[in-house]
Amino acid sequence: MADLHKIIASVKDALGNSTQNNSHPADATAAMPVSPSAYRAELASAFARELEEVGGKFLGVLSPPEVTNRIVSLAGELGAKTVALGQGVAGDMDAIGEALERADFRLVRAVPVADTERAAMRARVADADLGIAEADFAIASTGTLAVVSTANRPSALTLLPPASLVIVQIDRVMPNLAAVLAAMGPAGVAANRLTLITGPSRTADIEKRIVLGVHGPKSLHVIVVWPHDD
Amino acid sequence: MAEFPKARDFFESSGVAVADHDLRRKLESASARHLDHFVQVKADFPAYDDERDAAHRIKTDAIAHLDELLIELTSKLEARGCKVFLAEDAAQARNYIVALAKARGARNVVKGKSMTTEEIDLNDALAQAGIDAVETDLGEYIVQLRGERPSHIITPAIHLSKEDIGQLFTDKFGIEYTAEPEKLTAEARSRLRAIFLAADFGVTGVNFAIAETGTLVVVENEGNGRLSSTMPETFVAVMGIEKVIPRLDDLSHFLEILARTATGQKLTTYTSFITGPRREGDLDGPAEMHVVILDNGRSAMLADPVLREALNCIRCGACLNVCPIYRRIGGHAYGSVYPGPIGSIVSPNLFGSAAGYLPFASTLCGACKDICPVKIDIPRILLHLRWKESIGKHPLKWPRAIERARRGARRFAKTARYPRTVRALGKIAAVVLKPFAHNGYLRRMPGPFGNWTKYRNFPRPRPHKRPPS
Repeated sequence: MADLHKIIASVKDALGNSTQNNSHPADATAAMPVSPSAYRAELASAFARELEEVGGKFLGVLSPPEVTNRIVSLAGELGAKTVALGQGVAGDMDAIGEALERADFRLVRAVPVADTERAAMRARVADADLGIAEADFAIASTGTLAVVSTANRPSALTLLPPASLVIVQIDRVMPNLAAVLAAMGPAGVAANRLTLITGPSRTADIEKRIVLGVHGPKSLHVIVVWPHDD
Repeated sequence: MAEFPKARDFFESSGVAVADHDLRRKLESASARHLDHFVQVKADFPAYDDERDAAHRIKTDAIAHLDELLIELTSKLEARGCKVFLAEDAAQARNYIVALAKARGARNVVKGKSMTTEEIDLNDALAQAGIDAVETDLGEYIVQLRGERPSHIITPAIHLSKEDIGQLFTDKFGIEYTAEPEKLTAEARSRLRAIFLAADFGVTGVNFAIAETGTLVVVENEGNGRLSSTMPETFVAVMGIEKVIPRLDDLSHFLEILARTATGQKLTTYTSFITGPRREGDLDGPAEMHVVILDNGRSAMLADPVLREALNCIRCGACLNVCPIYRRIGGHAYGSVYPGPIGSIVSPNLFGSAAGYLPFASTLCGACKDICPVKIDIPRILLHLRWKESIGKHPLKWPRAIERARRGARRFAKTARYPRTVRALGKIAAVVLKPFAHNGYLRRMPGPFGNWTKYRNFPRPRPHKRPPS
């Protein structure tokens, strides 16, 4: 046993002299000796703080039924008539869609399109007042949402409508960007069209004044979903 | 490339710009605001210096293995159905894109913000082929409407006030005059949205290309980059050869510092990972995707061991904001699409010796080196370029006079050890030179000293006052 330690120590020494330290910055919350749910809550609140800082609106950490209700009430608050949504990652978008329809909102469901339908579908998504999507990950340190685009959940949902609502599961809130890229891995990134979204669309091109909603959404609302299963 | 102004033009244009107090006010307020934001986000991010070191190291390493990385990137992109074109120079790149646009019958070309397409003068080339390309970044849109070039690599319309832009919109669109940034932005949004929905050909730049995954990363705040790369049927990404980084794991080091130094944000609003044309059933993405990888003088920079470091640049624009020259003359006076300290390095290498005067447009104060997120030693490279520009081209006019000046300098160095003698000489100079000075400065000096006063004033020597002991 002692020999093994010696060998490992000398290997470590040898490597220490030649390899470069490419490590990512330590995350202060990672070392906290806390329960998993407390750690998640910590990340979610850090995420909320950063999101608000970049002009996003945090609607809370909610259970799935609460999420559905909150989305219906948000659509009402925004004065939306048409809402566009696609499939979820882990969340139940169908339940949300049905609840919106029951509340008399017109629904645009993003589904795989043939080449001839593409322009019409884009126009319908662009005309929607609110786009709803589920993020694959969220980043606590920057208030960022990482959203993968597929045929069933196109990136147009978070880009074309003037208001954007994104939900994300609490176990998918990561401490920093490096953690998200590590979770997706080279294969995951290579296979997908990924977009990182940090706040509403903005510009500072006129006298460095910040104006929201240039080409993308003017408002970005985020709900963190806590399934209460732990 | 538009005709490059000669050195004399630079002295004229910078002289005019310095006298423009309005411009000076706009530049100072924009730069000050940028630095305020930067200082704040840097203070909130203790890992900043570590990330800077990592970025410097990764980029230096990537540049040293550029050949292998480009091969890897190209094969990964091609495997995913992208068409890759390696362009030796600007003409090859723009000919390729123009020919492609013609072949696809492009009518509505939309462009995301890209300095590389400015470098190759793509818009003019498309216009000559009868194709209108619309710049969709708000700042780029504004300068395009004015028929100008961007005057800053991050904030293209930094030289314009909101009143200038309000007047521009009134003149061009016939809308009621307003100087409110919100209203002007809304106007641009609705006009550009219609163009996006009808766009058939899109062009953007690239911030990072990951060799390992064959992914192009584009950062932006407005969403026009996302729209330009996902709405049109044909999409072309244009990048310099130096944009490639080895692994996915490297990316976060750059993203953590780029927005912080460029705009004082932690991350830009949108970071798009572009992986290739759309797949069956996809609503977003182009039917075909092309990647133009541009050399245009970069491999020559790579061959020069001192210049090579400049290829580390990630185009954050921070060196412009801290540069005492840029802050006084703005971007247009440089006469290059890449202004400021880094522009003075890359321009002569990308646009040829006509821009050889630019390395001299610096005080070598080193503020650029201090702020550079990838730690490029800009003053050192500027000096190297000055040397390259002067050596051989301008044979020493008075070799003997220079030898005498050297001896004089050595003698002065010896004299300077005796403060009392220096003070006495200073007193004599103060008396002798007093009648020639205006407002405390000598505007012209005789003989070889005249080279100094050609472009600067010499402060009049004043009698030394002994500090109270």
